[in-house]
Amino acid sequence: MKIEVLGTGCMKCKRLLKNVEVAVQELGIAAEIKKVDDITEIINRGVMLTPALAVDGEMKVSGRVADVKELKEILKG
Amino acid sequence: MASKPECACGDTSAVAGGKKRIIFPCAGTANVGLISNAAAFQLADEGYGVATCIALLGSADTGLRRRIAEADEVVIIDGCPATCGAKIADLQGIAIDQHIVITALGIDKVYERNYTEEEVERVVSAAWEGKGRT
Repeated sequence: MKIEVLGTGCMKCKRLLKNVEVAVQELGIAAEIKKVDDITEIINRGVMLTPALAVDGEMKVSGRVADVKELKEILKG
Repeated sequence: MASKPECACGDTSAVAGGKKRIIFPCAGTANVGLISNAAAFQLADEGYGVATCIALLGSADTGLRRRIAEADEVVIIDGCPATCGAKIADLQGIAIDQHIVITALGIDKVYERNYTEEEVERVVSAAWEGKGRT
């Protein structure tokens, strides 16, 4: 599973990244977590509000910090 | 040309998916009470919600009750198992969406005024992670 956190590095982006790391750890799943902070790539991905979360290329969250409980549900599919 | 994405930092109430939260620290006088205040202010600085005085809630202020009614979530940060903040909310008939008890995060209550940034960070992280969701 490939998880991407898209954002330019504000506090909310950092919090979302941390929550993703906790969710992955608590689920015990194998996942590649990538931080995307390049503004051009974020624009090209069609993100209008950061922070955003993509799982295997599909945008799941935009413009807010999802908490661990919600992230675990998203990652469980 | 694609427009620049908007960052959702600061007040999230106006953006899609953002939640309007009111945060009440217990504001006790032991270390954990002081940490509750510091954590609430840091959460406010990070755009998580608005830090508000628990004493105002206890006074049944009508303006505050209106703001609570308009909010999406109420977050109570209590320092210790006495859970004074949650009890005040309960007495006022306010439903709590997230309740964090600082001692449950492994921070001992001592009647001192000293606390560390790491302790505040532990509480702030718990709120962002939703550890106190009811």
